[in-house]
Amino acid sequence: MHKSRTARGAWGSLFLLGILLAAVVLAWSPQVGAQSLVDAAKKEGKVVIYGSLESESMDAIAKIFTKKYGINVEYWRAASNKVLDRVLTEARSGRPLYDVVVTNRGPMLFLKKENVFGKYVSPESANFPEDVRDPDGLLSPIYRMGVVGILYNTKLVKPGEAPKSLDDLLNPKWRGKWVIPDPSRHFTTGVWVRNLEEFYGKDWLTFAKKLADTKPILVESFIPAAQKVLSGEALAGVTYVKYVYIFGKEGAPLDYVRLPKMLADGHNVGIGAMAPHMNAAKLFEDFFISKEGMENLAKQGEFVTTKGLYPPIKDAEKIKPVAMEELSDADYKKWSAEFQKLFVSK
Amino acid sequence: MKTDSAELPRAASIVSCWRDPFALTVAGVAVVLAFLSLYPTAMLFYGSFTTAHLGETGKLSLANYVRAYTDPATFTLLFDSFVFALGASVFSLLLALFLAWVTVRTNAPFRRIFELTAIVPNIFPPILIAISWTLLLSPSVGMINAILKSIFHLTESPLNIYSLPGLMFVEGLILAPLAFLIISAALMGMDPSLEESARMLGSSQFQIMRRVTFPLMRPAILAGGTLNFVRALESFDTPAIIALPARIEVFTTKIYREALAAYPPDYNLAATYGVSLLAVALVFVALYRRFTSRVEAFATVTGKGFRPHTIDLGPWKFVASGGALAILIMMVVLPVAMLFLISILPYYHVPTLETIKLATLKHYAYIFHNQRVYKAIGNSLLLAVCGATVAMFLAALTSYITVKTKIFGRGLLEGLTFLPWAFPSTALAIGLLWGYVKIPLPIYATIWILLIAYVTRFLPYGLRSVSSTIVQIHRDLEDASKACGGGFWTTLRRILFPLMRPGLIAGWIILATIFMREFSLSLFLYTPSSEPVGPLLYFLWLDGLTGPLGALGILVSVVSVVLVIVARRYSRISG
Repeated sequence: MHKSRTARGAWGSLFLLGILLAAVVLAWSPQVGAQSLVDAAKKEGKVVIYGSLESESMDAIAKIFTKKYGINVEYWRAASNKVLDRVLTEARSGRPLYDVVVTNRGPMLFLKKENVFGKYVSPESANFPEDVRDPDGLLSPIYRMGVVGILYNTKLVKPGEAPKSLDDLLNPKWRGKWVIPDPSRHFTTGVWVRNLEEFYGKDWLTFAKKLADTKPILVESFIPAAQKVLSGEALAGVTYVKYVYIFGKEGAPLDYVRLPKMLADGHNVGIGAMAPHMNAAKLFEDFFISKEGMENLAKQGEFVTTKGLYPPIKDAEKIKPVAMEELSDADYKKWSAEFQKLFVSK
Repeated sequence: MKTDSAELPRAASIVSCWRDPFALTVAGVAVVLAFLSLYPTAMLFYGSFTTAHLGETGKLSLANYVRAYTDPATFTLLFDSFVFALGASVFSLLLALFLAWVTVRTNAPFRRIFELTAIVPNIFPPILIAISWTLLLSPSVGMINAILKSIFHLTESPLNIYSLPGLMFVEGLILAPLAFLIISAALMGMDPSLEESARMLGSSQFQIMRRVTFPLMRPAILAGGTLNFVRALESFDTPAIIALPARIEVFTTKIYREALAAYPPDYNLAATYGVSLLAVALVFVALYRRFTSRVEAFATVTGKGFRPHTIDLGPWKFVASGGALAILIMMVVLPVAMLFLISILPYYHVPTLETIKLATLKHYAYIFHNQRVYKAIGNSLLLAVCGATVAMFLAALTSYITVKTKIFGRGLLEGLTFLPWAFPSTALAIGLLWGYVKIPLPIYATIWILLIAYVTRFLPYGLRSVSSTIVQIHRDLEDASKACGGGFWTTLRRILFPLMRPGLIAGWIILATIFMREFSLSLFLYTPSSEPVGPLLYFLWLDGLTGPLGALGILVSVVSVVLVIVARRYSRISG
């Protein structure tokens, strides 16, 4: 009896040891896997990325990646709809030249639906909150947010006179003096207007109509919107908050309105299902969304989703980005027609 | 022993034909021309008749046409396109008629200066004229509007370029030089004896104009009008700058919207509208050809060595010069001045006396230091040099075969060059995208698709330039070379090319200036790594970077002026 109990105990401790060993092996295995991935990636020698992330921001990360692994990064930068177009066309013609795609969530979801991406869950995605991860494992977590806010020209607008809320833009003194990308043409702005529902509930369309009635200056996209505020042609404008840093570091007189909540557009990374450099692509995604990658991206003014990392913009840590609900292409078609009536009617 | 291959009997064996360099060259040129012009046409049709996405292969169907022509917006588009093209061509004709009449027929002072109108399009890209006029007449920032507002104490801007009349006005200014060339040539070649007879019979100056001059000029006016109508219909530069923001939909903006601005892009619908535009263009170009052949058939050009009678306008001659000067100011002076102004202003504003102190050269520094601008200039230079060389080589061979030889099927070659001449750039671009997406060569999404597009679309310009020299070379020279044992290639290299040189160089330079700032094809075919100057100018405009835009525009125009002066020297030698 006693003997058997000892035996059982011995067996038990052996069992425990086994579990421990297995745990150790498991704990080590990502590192082991990573090493084989690094070797395979090095053999491929380069990685080709298509994306809409600013070239400067990508260069900062690519430089470190190349130094670390000796793998060259070829980056093709274009507006998000052009990235969508080229990726889609190359995928459909069966000759994809890209390995990695990095752009806004709307086009990324569209490409995902078109089966452009292969499955890859980077070990680094564990560092991101659960709600920004892709349940299907086809996209990276939402690694950054394009926070959309109100920017104003600090030379032309005194601090006390800047709008304090979206509703302030309805004040007649702003009529025709603020700028917004045309929501019936610019996809992200269309999504933004549709997502005003987050703040105004079912009255969002009424509010959108009131905004439109103030006759804002309409431009093609977020960069010209910021440019108009910079040049003084508009006093304020709806655009990315990150331009406060990007243009500000060159001395531009820009600040943003401290809205309690701001709508934001998610961004993902995806790896082509037929990527010519599959391993280099995986390694790049690992590095891109790693803490080191995200730190560098935050330094470029981006709002990354890794906890505790903020762009060098005043009060950035106080901003509460609210991820926007994306629109499908059919929904966008429908709403863009509606926004055309509101914003552009003659 | 075969020496003169062109005169080989038709019964010659196929084997000897195969070895014959001349026959091989003809066949080679024919294949290249056919591939350049027919392949994108076929693929444009394919794109419009399939429901498969760009890059996929699929079944044929009429679904795109049903989609396009059951959309009520298509009929608004058709109507607006025709109204725009008609308005622009009529306005351009009025300007051209007045200018041609003043420069050719009257004693108005300084009339030689107004002849410079003809070279404006070689120097100043249409997209820059459209941008300059937008900066002058935009309701929010237009300089003319600002001045009118301050003079008349208005609260609203009186003029709005973002309208159908605004669009017609600018396109009319851009197209006027083309009509001016046709009409002034016809005026110069007119037989003065017909007018003399009318005068002898007691007609007044006005009666002569109405009863004799105008009817004689009618074919030239019709030809100029038709050509400008079709050019307006095909143009994308002005509509991109004015019609897109104004929400006026014409054929070319619709193609742009489906292929480049839709989410996601719809290349099937783009191809469908492209086919429609091509069909309309072909009809009107055919009409134009009929009118020009009538110009020649009309017995107005007689080869008599005197110019038509110059009309003494008396004191009215100053009014005539003033009017012509006003047109020249609208066509050249104001746009150039505007461009120069924005290039030296630190930020865009209506200039005051203090502006002089603000003037800066920083935008010129920017275009020389900015990576993107630097790369775009490099791309455009590469395209201009390679494109013009390839196109002129092809043009020289083609025009030699069609003009100098009597080989069977040379008419076919001529026909093949007709298609690109009528091909609207936007439609050709869509056809090329469909054509090269599946070809496993690095052409799609590289700079080489731009090169192919440029050579295809502008080959006729090179042909025109080289044909005028080649007709002057006497056949004896070739025969002498052959008699001395020179083969086809030797004759071409040692005799013909050197004699054709002035025409070749003039054509080369004209093509190079066009390629330096080509816009309509490039916008559809470029990728960020192969971005040339034309699309870059457009994006600088969209991003509101008027300073760098002005500086780059001035730089491109100055380079063009130099090239055009050189080209004119050479063409004068040839002519």
